[in-house]
Amino acid sequence: MTTPSASANGPPHSPIERIALLRLAVAALVFAGSAAAAIVAVGGGLTTTLMASVLTAVGVTLGYLLGRRDGPTPRAVRLLLFKVADELAQYRAFTRLLRDQGERITDSTNGAAIAIATGLKEMDSNLDRMRTTIDRATAGEDSELKALVDAVEAPVITLLGQLQFQDLTQQQIGFLVRLSLIVDQHMIDLAQRLGDRRSMDRIENFKEMFNKALDDCVMTSQRDDHHAAAGLDLHEARGPKVELF
Amino acid sequence: MPSTILLVDDSATILMSMEAILHKAGFTVAKAACAEDAITQLNGGLKPHLIITDIHMPGMSGIDLIRKVRTMPGLQFLPILVVTTESQQAKRDEARAAKATGWLVKPVQPDDLLKVVRQILPNG
Repeated sequence: MTTPSASANGPPHSPIERIALLRLAVAALVFAGSAAAAIVAVGGGLTTTLMASVLTAVGVTLGYLLGRRDGPTPRAVRLLLFKVADELAQYRAFTRLLRDQGERITDSTNGAAIAIATGLKEMDSNLDRMRTTIDRATAGEDSELKALVDAVEAPVITLLGQLQFQDLTQQQIGFLVRLSLIVDQHMIDLAQRLGDRRSMDRIENFKEMFNKALDDCVMTSQRDDHHAAAGLDLHEARGPKVELF
Repeated sequence: MPSTILLVDDSATILMSMEAILHKAGFTVAKAACAEDAITQLNGGLKPHLIITDIHMPGMSGIDLIRKVRTMPGLQFLPILVVTTESQQAKRDEARAAKATGWLVKPVQPDDLLKVVRQILPNG
């Protein structure tokens, strides 16, 4: 993982620092040129040297002030920003872990649900065969054994219907994964911008990113949870579970 | 002859679960794991009496599948049920506009599913 701290100890090469140094150099050159002109104009040895020194010093000071106005961030602050950026980058390990665990839950529940569904279908099929065999053996008469087969078979369809939980769980975990990606992206943006305090304003506000995630909420329960997390006491109408148009 | 129902869902669990419920109730079931596969089967000669489709699927969505089916010869009036976790009214309206027949929110209880299917296919 690349973090901004990698460049923390290197020479100051950020664009702002380069601009500040350039301004300083230009100012120094301008005033050095003025000093040279003064030499020609005044012509005196000591006076000329003194004037040149003073003008050069003024030029360097002015250049430094111009550069400092919005130039390099003090080293201590820069190191602190890099440290924060480094910490932010490490938080991404947690969001990554969250996603990986979510995928594992989805995979394991999917495998288990399919195995259960396959077993239930097999059981149902065998019970049908058993009923046919009993019918044949008892010449179609009702028997205690047949009633027992019916009783065993009765919950199978309900259980198969309950297996839809896996699809719903998968979608809920999928939503959490997408939310974690939003957090991730925001942390990347913050980490990248920490070295450039003027560009902080350009980072999308996390609240705006979070609000956009509402578009990704397909279930009413998800939307209600999102509203609650956003501090809104809002509950959306659920609508009928079954509707023929 | 039992009616044929085409199930379209990217979830293997949903396909297995609904197939078992419908098969047990006496329907013939065809399955497709995506909208594109469903279209291929329809183009290949499958003539279902009802399509039951999810909305959120990789690739073509269930709504787009409905729109596509409505343009296919002889399928303009084929009943199509949407079964989805989606519960926003806007999506329902979109499905209605695409000429879906009905809307069911997951999880669907087997009795509810069979009741609706039998309402649409009374001779099924």
